[in-house]
Amino acid sequence: MNKKSTLKENLIGYGFMSPALILLGIFLVIPVFMVVYYSFTDYYLLTPDQRQFVGLSNFVQLFKDPIFIKSIFNTLKFVVWIIPVQLGASLGLALIVNKARKGNIFFKVAFFAPVVMSLVVISILWLYLLNPNDGLINTLLMKIGIDAQPFLTSPKQAMYTIVFVSAWQGAGYQMLLLLGGMQNIPQDVYEAAELDGFNKFQQFIYITMPLLKPTALFVLLTTLISAFKLIVQPMVMTQGGPMNSTMTMVYYIYQTGFTDRMVGYSSSIALIFTTMIGMISIAQRRLMKEDN
Amino acid sequence: MKKMLKKMKAMTILEYGLLLLLAALFIFPMLWMVVSSMKPEASVFKDLSSLRAFLPSLNPGNWFKTYAEVINRFSVGTYLFNSIFYGLSFAACSILINSLAGFAFAKINFSGKKIIFGMMLALLIVPVETVLIPQFTIMNGLGLVNTRLAVILPGIASVFNIYLFRNFFIAIPEEIIESARIDGASIVKIFFKIMLPMSKPAIATVGVLSFIGSWNDYIWPLMVLTDKSKFSMQVAITTINTTQPVYINQVMAVLTISTIPLIIIYVVAQKYILQGLGGSGTGIK
Repeated sequence: MNKKSTLKENLIGYGFMSPALILLGIFLVIPVFMVVYYSFTDYYLLTPDQRQFVGLSNFVQLFKDPIFIKSIFNTLKFVVWIIPVQLGASLGLALIVNKARKGNIFFKVAFFAPVVMSLVVISILWLYLLNPNDGLINTLLMKIGIDAQPFLTSPKQAMYTIVFVSAWQGAGYQMLLLLGGMQNIPQDVYEAAELDGFNKFQQFIYITMPLLKPTALFVLLTTLISAFKLIVQPMVMTQGGPMNSTMTMVYYIYQTGFTDRMVGYSSSIALIFTTMIGMISIAQRRLMKEDN
Repeated sequence: MKKMLKKMKAMTILEYGLLLLLAALFIFPMLWMVVSSMKPEASVFKDLSSLRAFLPSLNPGNWFKTYAEVINRFSVGTYLFNSIFYGLSFAACSILINSLAGFAFAKINFSGKKIIFGMMLALLIVPVETVLIPQFTIMNGLGLVNTRLAVILPGIASVFNIYLFRNFFIAIPEEIIESARIDGASIVKIFFKIMLPMSKPAIATVGVLSFIGSWNDYIWPLMVLTDKSKFSMQVAITTINTTQPVYINQVMAVLTISTIPLIIIYVVAQKYILQGLGGSGTGIK
């Protein structure tokens, strides 16, 4: 079967691939090289012709830049909190809707409802709900005797609020993924366990958890990577504030490169970020392979 | 026995009570969004401290007044049309271009296939967010900034979608292609007349996910568009939300308008969305 490809097959193959390859080349491959190159220059967006090679000076400057350092810690803070919160929530929701009961479809739809709203929509919606003066949440809190909270306007609370809103939006989707995994576990495994006297909790620990591991791992890793890329929620809700407490790495790439037009400086952040994500992705592939 | 039954009944009621409370946590924002768009601005604030916050205006005549106001004040129709246009053309291009490449990887024996495929998979690691600025300078170089084409072009070719189509085409038996070839059909004809019609599920998945992705996209259209008449819904929303004077009921009306098409798609195409199981979906997408 090991035929040599004919000229005709090569023509057809490359012909079919070329539109995709050209687009990927222009909008993904070349930009990656541009990021690497720009990060060693002082490229200013409006004067591209005057850019000069500046060696490592962008990187030296970066590690003296308090906002950049802060953006790393903010990003890590978001990642460290969103993983347990969102995963815990989606696992809990999946367990709830996995039980047969009347009206279950209503609960499934309700938990999924936030997923159908875009990030921009939920960000603006929660911005109003969480308004410190006349938001619905604070009105409710005061009614039950709790002081109004600043939520998004306090450097201490803003990131946690974004964690909550993000998990609230995404949990329903992952609930469905985990539910799919749970329903793939054959029912007779549970029946056998029941006969052996395992209670529901033991069944969860000894059957559901291990058999759900591939799905859970997939959900965990995709959440991890996408959590690092947080930008829309802080951009719309807090503009990175107050006091840069919600400035994330990707947001800072956007702000330095596009708003402040310092393409060179921004590219060096992008390069550091890509390296971070690359290492995580490689570790992830190792992990997935071991698991199989 | 009777006592136990009673206890079980109480447990069930408790369970449903707690579940309803939990469900409320997930739906009250959407509910508040919709009902706040259906009442006068003053009532939105007045109702906050009572259950009326979750009811529309008691006078049905007020229900759609806000919508009329906001459509009069901003070109909501244009934004809606733009988003639908971007979504549909992005989905159509995604299907065509990625299925062509997926077919080549699945069924055509050309040299260098394995290497190119491996390199393509390696591209999956690159976070698109980090190349937005070079993408912008390239668009600028091509003279396409502030055009509709610029909005859809960068995301069309997608390694993930090529991979999805490839896996789908691989499952189609070789014999079907062979027999069509013997009948004298050209490869282009085989692709469009046999392969594509057989791959409706893959087309639907890629189409629906691409449409949703395009609809929700915010940062890229914000970067490349300056002309208000070309704004997508998401970009327009943030503009409307910052145009003084800001009326909450009008903002909520716009949010509702921009969500309705997505609700329809999720209801109609739920099967394909779940099949896609893309690595997306969290606050975080």
